[in-house]
Amino acid sequence: MKKIIIGAALLGSSMTASAVAPGGPGCGWGNLLFEGSSGLPAHLLATIVNGTSGNATFGMTSGTNGCDTSGTLTYSGNSLLAMNGVLEEVAQDMAVGHGEALTALTVAMQIDPADRDHFNSVMHQNFAQIFPRDDVSSGEVMDNINTVMKRDDRLSHYVS
Amino acid sequence: MLWLCVVLWGAGAQAATAPDFAALAATPRWQALMHVNPGATLRGVGTSYVDDADFFLATDGKADPEAELRATWRALEPAQSQARCRFPARYRFLATTLGWHESAPLAHCEDYLAWRAQMPIGQLVLVFPAAYLNSPSSMFGHTLLRLDAEPDPDAVWLSRAINFGAQAGGADNSLFYIWRGLAGGYPGQFSVTSYVEKIRDYAFVENRDMWEYALDLDAGEIDWVVSHLWELRGINFDYYFFDENCSLRLLELIKVARPQAPLMTELRFAELPVNTVRALYGADLVAERRYRPSKAVELEALAARLDANERALAADLRDDPARVDTPAFKAYPPPRRHLMAQVAYQALRLRNREGDRDPDVARKSLALLRVVQRNPAPPPQPVPEPAPPERGHGTQTVNLGVGRQDGRDFLAFGYRLTYHDLFDPLAGFLPGAAIEGLDVQLRLDERDGLALESLDLVNIRSLAPRSEFVKPISWFVHAGLEQTPVADRARALGGFVQGGPGASWRFGDLFPYVFAVARIESVSGTDPDAALGGGAEAGLAYQAESVQWGLHARWLEFTSQFARLRTGVTANVPVSPDNALRGECSHESWQGEAVAGCSVSFRHFFD
Repeated sequence: MKKIIIGAALLGSSMTASAVAPGGPGCGWGNLLFEGSSGLPAHLLATIVNGTSGNATFGMTSGTNGCDTSGTLTYSGNSLLAMNGVLEEVAQDMAVGHGEALTALTVAMQIDPADRDHFNSVMHQNFAQIFPRDDVSSGEVMDNINTVMKRDDRLSHYVS
Repeated sequence: MLWLCVVLWGAGAQAATAPDFAALAATPRWQALMHVNPGATLRGVGTSYVDDADFFLATDGKADPEAELRATWRALEPAQSQARCRFPARYRFLATTLGWHESAPLAHCEDYLAWRAQMPIGQLVLVFPAAYLNSPSSMFGHTLLRLDAEPDPDAVWLSRAINFGAQAGGADNSLFYIWRGLAGGYPGQFSVTSYVEKIRDYAFVENRDMWEYALDLDAGEIDWVVSHLWELRGINFDYYFFDENCSLRLLELIKVARPQAPLMTELRFAELPVNTVRALYGADLVAERRYRPSKAVELEALAARLDANERALAADLRDDPARVDTPAFKAYPPPRRHLMAQVAYQALRLRNREGDRDPDVARKSLALLRVVQRNPAPPPQPVPEPAPPERGHGTQTVNLGVGRQDGRDFLAFGYRLTYHDLFDPLAGFLPGAAIEGLDVQLRLDERDGLALESLDLVNIRSLAPRSEFVKPISWFVHAGLEQTPVADRARALGGFVQGGPGASWRFGDLFPYVFAVARIESVSGTDPDAALGGGAEAGLAYQAESVQWGLHARWLEFTSQFARLRTGVTANVPVSPDNALRGECSHESWQGEAVAGCSVSFRHFFD
């Protein structure tokens, strides 16, 4: 719970203070919806020796999106959304009403399993508010999710 | 007093007398912690696979596990020892085998404890991303491990991925990279990342189905893996594509969890991921298997729920979401609209997920998602699960057959190192994908005696079906030696390289295809000694699990005013998972000459 409050507080400032993004420089807070995935070893040769460029990460950072998660026990909903490629999966799951990305988000946000179906349907109904534009950023989406949750009797206690 | 003396003497002896290092060093757990090669690969049997001085406390630790054990004992025995923080699994080994009882032996190891707290130990899972569409070489595939917070977790997206890969510098060029990968020029290291990144890379971007095998290991056993993983942080192993690759390294990690498991008892040359999976089943380590379809397969399954008109409408929507306002679309009930919009959306994303963000695609994507959201969904249908890769036929093949060519009988036999052609039993393989490496075929003829019929070095064929939603280019490449028709004689052994782009489609189990073909060949004793040709090939391949058959015609025109037409038909019937019967006939004509023949053969797959 505390993590979400901190996350939400950080998010409030994330849109203005872009010089020092929470999670460290290079972190994907500014990721836009439908951001392409690039820089992946999609070609055959890299596949063969299963190469990774640069230093091997060792669980201390979350890797390619540059978000520093050291010291955190699990992902928060925020850092999950900021990961490259996750935002559009969440968007699709919310449009459909369920899915693996949405489940991951509820677990990351520590939403009680008994409230998950309700969370899913609230997200589905408020899709237009959560994804108002096609260039919405992950930070904005997290803000919008929190706004919608605050209005809901069963979900408001997760954000306030 | 005497009694006290005995006790004191006993205590003194315990401190002064060193443990039986030779016996301890020979235990399976220490051998596993040292990564000693038990004979699983040919280089350095009996010495450690680790190629990094930082991993060893003794100067000859790599070659001498007992010396390393002595040095470890000396370094880890004192309380507050910094070496304990570097080697927590070795500490656990010594403490459990020698009966060390400290209440918090690693309390001073802040970095380790902080990292350890982030690593869940609920469940360990072997993950096998299968071959990806239109890239048969990825059949050789990759394996990684997943670490979950609990058994059967709700959200594996939040799990950790344990990966072993070559560490490549960004500036390396690809050819150099592949060579060093094969020859062992790259250091390989373990890394720990988030599993959702792996799902994105494999299932979303590369469109590979993923198979997840939950391992039957308890928390205590998984703890060995995690604490040992810390010991491997930044430690180099030379990476060899053929034997010391990711799959072998993961087996070693699992041996650390359960040293007595029979995982590396036999020679594991050219370790293929599918054999890693089989080894785990053989050691009774697989508790459960899960299938994770790729985005391409999800789209295919979703599109299969639409009829032809709906598919056409979905393709229109993908190109122009504004067509949701047309009467044709509005005539459908909401659940059908939902499905069509979802197919259109997924088709659009499949094409545009990779690469830079495109504002126009983003606009269309959100417009389609809004249609999806506005129309209630029909009941979900799970993606049908294909046969898992471990159910596929063995990776090596021997064949024995008889045939008749131009009125003469012959005996045919051959061996193929790897792996699968279009007519081999389909179960466990990606339809339309074929890759063969090192295929030797010999013939014993009543007149000519023993002769090499063909030697394929590499033969890759990808029939990637085109549909309303995906337009991949099929391709093939084939190089080797074969009995080649020549202008003035019957046939002679020649070397060749051929290949080309093509297109294929899919109607149920039937794949029609066409290819453009370019070929360069060199036949000994002919003039000119190298010939360049071009032409076309058309064919049909039928791939069902019970039977596979195909026919093809290939026409080639060479720059040396020489043309050839080859036609053939093949049928294959699997009689058991690792045995099949095959019949083949072919006819090849050139310059007024022709050769025709048929054969039947028995094919056995193994290893």
